Amino acid sequence: MKQYIIRRLLQMIPTLIGISILVFAISSMVPGDYITAKNSPSMTAEKKAELRAIYGLDKPPVERYFTWAGNMAVGNLGDSLQHKQPVTKVINTYVWNSFIIAFFSLIFSWIIAVFTGVLSAKFQYSFFDKMVTLLVFLCMSLPSFFIGLLLIKVFALELGWLPIGGMTTAGSKATGWGYFVDVLEHSFLPILVLTMISTGSLTRYFRTSMLEVIRQDYIRTARAKGLKERTVIFKHALRNAMLPAITLMGFELPALFGGAIILEKVFVWPGIGQVYLESITVRDYPFMLGFTIFLAVLTLIGNLISDVLYGAADPRIRLK
Amino acid sequence: MKKRMSLLLAIMLLTISVLAACSGGTAEEPNQGDEGTQQETPNTNEGENTEEPPAEGEDESQGYFEAEDPAANPDTAKNRTDTLIVGMTSPKGVFNPYFWQTAYDKYVVNTVFDTLLEVSGDGTYTESLAESVEVSEDGLTYTYKLKPDVKYSDGTPVTMNDYLFAMKIMLDPKYDGESDMMSLNIVGADEYKNGDATEISGIKVIDDLTVEVTVTEATAVTRDYLGDVALLPESYYGKDFKKGDMDSLKAMHDKPVGSGPYVMTKFSPGQEVVFEANENYFKGAPKIKNLVYKTTTEETRLPMLQSGEIDMDMITVSEDNVEEVKMMGFIDLNIFPTNGYGYVAFNHNLEKFQDQKVRQALMYGLNRAEIVESIYGIYANPLNIPESSVSWAYTDEDVEAYEFDPEKAKALLEEAGWAAGADGTLEKDGEKFTIDFSATADNPVVEALLPIMTANYQDLGIEIKAETLDFNAIMDKKDQGNFEMFFAAWGLTPDPDNTVYITDGAQNDTGYSNETVDKLMKEGKMNLDGPEARAGIYKQMYQEMNKDLPNLFLYQRRDGWAINSRVNGLDITAYKDFPFSLYQAELEQ
Repeated sequence: MKQYIIRRLLQMIPTLIGISILVFAISSMVPGDYITAKNSPSMTAEKKAELRAIYGLDKPPVERYFTWAGNMAVGNLGDSLQHKQPVTKVINTYVWNSFIIAFFSLIFSWIIAVFTGVLSAKFQYSFFDKMVTLLVFLCMSLPSFFIGLLLIKVFALELGWLPIGGMTTAGSKATGWGYFVDVLEHSFLPILVLTMISTGSLTRYFRTSMLEVIRQDYIRTARAKGLKERTVIFKHALRNAMLPAITLMGFELPALFGGAIILEKVFVWPGIGQVYLESITVRDYPFMLGFTIFLAVLTLIGNLISDVLYGAADPRIRLK
Repeated sequence: MKKRMSLLLAIMLLTISVLAACSGGTAEEPNQGDEGTQQETPNTNEGENTEEPPAEGEDESQGYFEAEDPAANPDTAKNRTDTLIVGMTSPKGVFNPYFWQTAYDKYVVNTVFDTLLEVSGDGTYTESLAESVEVSEDGLTYTYKLKPDVKYSDGTPVTMNDYLFAMKIMLDPKYDGESDMMSLNIVGADEYKNGDATEISGIKVIDDLTVEVTVTEATAVTRDYLGDVALLPESYYGKDFKKGDMDSLKAMHDKPVGSGPYVMTKFSPGQEVVFEANENYFKGAPKIKNLVYKTTTEETRLPMLQSGEIDMDMITVSEDNVEEVKMMGFIDLNIFPTNGYGYVAFNHNLEKFQDQKVRQALMYGLNRAEIVESIYGIYANPLNIPESSVSWAYTDEDVEAYEFDPEKAKALLEEAGWAAGADGTLEKDGEKFTIDFSATADNPVVEALLPIMTANYQDLGIEIKAETLDFNAIMDKKDQGNFEMFFAAWGLTPDPDNTVYITDGAQNDTGYSNETVDKLMKEGKMNLDGPEARAGIYKQMYQEMNKDLPNLFLYQRRDGWAINSRVNGLDITAYKDFPFSLYQAELEQ
């Protein structure tokens, strides 16, 4: 097992190099740079050239790639042009806010999805199943900004129960418990919306995989030996139905840190998604590239983790 | 299989970022983007003596609209008796007067720092930290005197050594901010920037309160731009400063210390900037004790104003937004002309656009009023010269308004030698009159402009071929001169001098060249006798541009602040941002 993990980690290196070349090539093919994106009316041509030289934008792409990749190899992602701070520091500032929302909505959506998925598989084509399907598709198909704005209108403006946006009350000096409650109130709606959006597909996924499993012979055997229905479903069937979910789990890792661009805008949540989108708009390449690589690394690691877990959970798969 | 999955995902990520790149560029262009990026120079428009815009009877499109029902104020706002909350797009944390990158960082900078001279409401400069300014006879020596006994918020006195320090930063070889001190021709600046000099010979600190700056060549803006320099304490910022190394300053970007009306106490990225009043502020202690800049987005501005979570915010001035704000009842609206204008550029290197008559025909043949109306309703007006209607240099005397007139356009095209061919398209010397229009993706102006323009020009026998591109891609094409026509917007500085329309000017990327404009722009720049004398020169220049049409001037729209009626005493104009009058603002109890 240890050997397997080491081998996979080593295999990641060429993959990452490939990704970095791709990402860099695409970004350098996109027209415009930080200076053109600024489109400043009072900047002279000399000043533009001077700034490009300081930022290293005047060098040929191949040279820029090696400078960038070389720095990255020693852990230096460069300075964000717009924030005038190291990219790692900017990521660290914003990513944890995104993580809070993504983490809780991940937990809630998995819990809800497992239960509703199992139950609607168990009672296939029942009224409950149809209602769940309807609800799930409704939540999935409404755009997040629409649900978000609707919830803001109802809960924040008309009922006045919850704040409209942000992470804390402006100018609040609360610490400890007070701070926690404040953040909780502010994060309620974004977590709700994110959970609503992501529960849908998961529910359908679990339902299908559950339906497949409960038709298997060993389930019939379990029933035949007189086990309680609850034991049959939650012990024998669910465990097998959950196996493919491990793969899904691996994909959730980058999603935890990736930020939710639209949701963050609607709820003014200080997450990384907005910062990432803006970095693309203003051509803040150091940040844009750095964060893309960060997500790529997380994706690779998430994959590795799910493979390892798969091996541990399913005796039919042996990792060598 | 699994490896393929991971690569697939990485490629998907990439595609997403590229897709995003393709649509992101212009999001803010028609709104705050164009003004946000320019280096605004402060103007103090104290006495609202703005001229009316050229379109007649449009009073309701600008001015100060008092709230009709202040009693409807929500308790959230009313109970906040000593705190003003201003909503804005998130500042980035570069709170240094020489390095700020966005307009929102600049709001923070203007709250924490003071400059020697600052802009008044009409676009001229008045003394702020400076007591007086003296200009020598030949206009080459500028002596600035400080007001005595002004202190930074950390207790150290403000001296002119800090001015020298500021100049050393902005002239440093590694300086990567946007201030361009080299363009002011300070004696010794080049030796300092590009040579080994350790001092700038043209800047002499005579005593703590006096500095003398010598330049090799003076222009009309030298006095103002040399004075529009914020002072920060060298004792704090200069601790580890060495020529050629900006890192020690960068570490202090989010911990600013200045002499301004408020002191920053907390910065939470993406959330808020918190300030406390500077009790020793040299213009008088601010009347509101606490100040918060809270992050808002386009989606949440109006709801937050309505719930009372914020007291003021800059809104996109459209008929819908204005109506919604007025419906709330307790919000004042301050609407003024945007410091900029939208235009359609021609590539003057192409033969078909070189004939003045053709350009005039394209102007007459385009229903600008309809376009502007469909985008902004009453909150924009067609514009006939490239200057703001509230600038001292503005004129509408002897300026052709180019009302929509297809017949006149056709006549002009005919005079220029274009005649209808077999398929109805105009032809000249065997060449068909088609125009490739580079359209910005996701831009509401382009979306309204293009169908009207296509129909209008088809009527004249000209075919428009549109190609939709990302904003940055169009700017790139513009820089390479590889375009025929595109829409964009310019931000304006308070001073009319610019290089957009002069031959080979730094900003002139459409190839426009006109001797009269060159001569008058230069005359205006070199005239040291003040705005009244210069206005006459610019009047002639704008009349010439109005006739010669370097591009199709499209519109000037409006900017607006929505302000809770409990806030009094702010003085905001097109030139003077809100931080400059914060110290005199009050909250109604």
